[in-house]
Amino acid sequence: MTNVQKQVYERFGESMISAQLDNGLDVHILPKAGFHKTYAIMTTNYGAIDNTFVPRGERETVHMPDGIAHFLEHKLFEKQDYDAFQLFGQYGASSNAFTTFTTTSYLFSASQNIHDNLDILLDFVQEPYFSEASVNKEKGIIGQEIQMYDDDAGWQLYFGTLRNLFPGEPMSIDIAGTVESIDQITADDLYRSYRTFYHPSNMSLFIVGGIDADETLNWVTANQNRKTFSAPTEIKRHPIHHVKADEVIPFTQTPMPVNRAKAAVGMRGFDSLPEGKAGMVYELALSMMMDLLFNDTSETYLALYNQGLIDDSFGYSSEVERGAHFIMISSETDEPETFIKTFESLLDAAPDKIGQLADQFELVKNEAAGRLISAMNSVEAIANQYSGPLFGQTNIFDELEAVQQLTLADVQRVTTDFIRNGAMTGHVVNPLVDNDKN
Amino acid sequence: MHQILKPGVTLDVIPTNQFKTITIMIDFVAPLTVKSATNRALLGELLDTSSEKYPTQTALARQLSLLYGASLGVNVLKAGTKHLVRVTLSTVNDRYLSDEAQHPLFQQGLDLLSEILFHPLIQNGQFDPETFNRQKNNLAAGIRSLSDDKQYEANQHMRQLLFEHHPEQAVGAFGDDQLLEMVTNSELVEDYRTMLTHDAIHIAVIGDVDEQQMVEQMARLPFLPRKTDELESPYFRWGDRQLIEGDEWQDLTQAKFNQAYRLPVYATDDDHAAALVFNAVFGGSPLSLLFNNVREKASLAYYASSNYSGYTGMMTVQTGIKAEDVDQVKAIIAEQLQLIRDGRVESETLGQVQASLVNARLSGLDSPKHRLSARLSADLTGASTPLSEWIDRINAVTIADLQRVANDVHLTAEYFLHGGEK
Repeated sequence: MTNVQKQVYERFGESMISAQLDNGLDVHILPKAGFHKTYAIMTTNYGAIDNTFVPRGERETVHMPDGIAHFLEHKLFEKQDYDAFQLFGQYGASSNAFTTFTTTSYLFSASQNIHDNLDILLDFVQEPYFSEASVNKEKGIIGQEIQMYDDDAGWQLYFGTLRNLFPGEPMSIDIAGTVESIDQITADDLYRSYRTFYHPSNMSLFIVGGIDADETLNWVTANQNRKTFSAPTEIKRHPIHHVKADEVIPFTQTPMPVNRAKAAVGMRGFDSLPEGKAGMVYELALSMMMDLLFNDTSETYLALYNQGLIDDSFGYSSEVERGAHFIMISSETDEPETFIKTFESLLDAAPDKIGQLADQFELVKNEAAGRLISAMNSVEAIANQYSGPLFGQTNIFDELEAVQQLTLADVQRVTTDFIRNGAMTGHVVNPLVDNDKN
Repeated sequence: MHQILKPGVTLDVIPTNQFKTITIMIDFVAPLTVKSATNRALLGELLDTSSEKYPTQTALARQLSLLYGASLGVNVLKAGTKHLVRVTLSTVNDRYLSDEAQHPLFQQGLDLLSEILFHPLIQNGQFDPETFNRQKNNLAAGIRSLSDDKQYEANQHMRQLLFEHHPEQAVGAFGDDQLLEMVTNSELVEDYRTMLTHDAIHIAVIGDVDEQQMVEQMARLPFLPRKTDELESPYFRWGDRQLIEGDEWQDLTQAKFNQAYRLPVYATDDDHAAALVFNAVFGGSPLSLLFNNVREKASLAYYASSNYSGYTGMMTVQTGIKAEDVDQVKAIIAEQLQLIRDGRVESETLGQVQASLVNARLSGLDSPKHRLSARLSADLTGASTPLSEWIDRINAVTIADLQRVANDVHLTAEYFLHGGEK
């Protein structure tokens, strides 16, 4: 019998049930009173970086072409006798899917026929059908997707920075692969990857919206009981060879037909990440470090803005993934070199600076708490906040609790570990020197 | 509940306990010209940056952080013949916070909103000169950088061709960077005063609020009664014209092929539901003919879609393709339009599209901002269709209705932005 746990979040008037089904699927259901829409997202712990592994039932490590996880995501919708996308349409649902470095997700949102739509989701994800003809047809579509991103300056700035931070590692390769790499993908490659990574024990299902939790869990269980799965086995990913901090490439640039330079500073952490929930706390602390140093309540932001080095296009992010964590700061600017130097030295000085920002820390905490509470308005935000195996299955309520408990000392400790062991890079997307003007 | 607070100032309150926030939107509505769009975009930036009491971005941002990450922003939008300056404030409902020091949050947020609206950083009839110049430069750079987005640029260039004689319809919501150069400080202060005293104002609030209390609270905002041009239609009506074509070479990997069609059905016309369904069947949804034929069957594109506006009576098509495929893409698009004109749409497709439009409308009810902007749009067109009636209208659309709309659709512009060989 499946073990079902119920959590009540009294302050927020919310509750959630969680269960691990017999086949290993990790299920979470959160009913939202008064909501019209239901959002369900099914995620496998398999993404763009996982393309070297021992396929399930085999002995040798294989290297799959770059972009295969994303290609598989596209192809899973198409079946021998139907297209899942169209089928969702018949039941009034809109569906989508996306691939990250370490995960692939399939989702729908609907305001009616939830039971039917859930069955469609579970069935199309769990019943693969790949043929050479349909694989070849997809190459044209994904080829155009790749070329669209080739012309996207923001995307090029992001990947140019990642190529410097992760030289030769899977993190440096575009999630969709290249026109050349996807050309090599075969139906057999897709089946072998699918069998390895799409076992229910490697997947989660998160459902939020205008539903009854127990009834919805019964629907999911009934669907899963109709299917037979092999016993879970250990997934053998080939360990990624990580470069050393001194192998990070300090600076590169990409010329593109843009009007104004776009500059980025990236920093990769070489400190080791704590496991489970502590990993989520690390991620929060890293993100608060960035807020303290650079958000619009900081003196630094105001000074650099008034100086004209940054403008409203300024932004920053911190990302913690399975096996990699890094931060990025970017802006359009007329002085890309100064931008890079300035932010590199600000990051260098961060471990000493953070401790002096006690007043601002309270503001940043307030803001983070308020944002998370506001995010509870959105069924998508609630489901997408779920960490899965990355941080020991923590959710938006756990994150809010962690925000409220976080101390400046926590942030200072993470800042010191991250910065002192980290390595930095700069990347610039530069306007082309225009030779065409007469 | 819709009510008139004062002549020219309306209020809608939507009390609901569905959300954990209280959100307010205020629209300032003025006629759209290239100049009004340009000046008001700059004005929005200035109001958003500082005020008398919070003279720097940092001071303003800190106050918002103190209010638990309240969001307060000023945006600009175009809607047919109107230009909108939209102020949005959202605060967390007090009941979800343990710290009572900042209660009531919404009232404090409203104080901050009043501060930026009624007490901007103006001295001796001038915005703070340093802030004025910096925001002007930043906005100009921002407008120029918009064209780094090639999908946006292709669409803009097509509009410029099409609306050569109606430049206000060609300009983006942020206005024109060359005109921006000439905006003076004192002129903008004048525009600010005009906005506060002459614009039509629509206010909408959603959240767990008491309706009567909200009416009293909003009535205290110091807006004066005003005579507005509200009876002037927000619809941009334009005559049929000959096809205009343009193309341009840039150093790009992917080509963009765009089209504009005249689709003379407006938001309050009887045929509006039919036009919405027509667009969704043609290219406006992933269940559409363009998605299925240009992308799924012929593998020529990652995106191939259409958009329709009930304010401008225009439908646009956008595709990202290989330059050498342009004739084939053009032919497939034309076939799909002909197919609808001939009534050869499958009833299954029609049913899917109707279900998806209804789903999108119902889903919108779960977003506070979506609900407020829908209410403000209704204020603009003067017509609000109850939800159940809207759903009935969408579901009543027949293949014959689609044929009628399709026969009214005329291709008026084509624009091709491409790399590859010159």
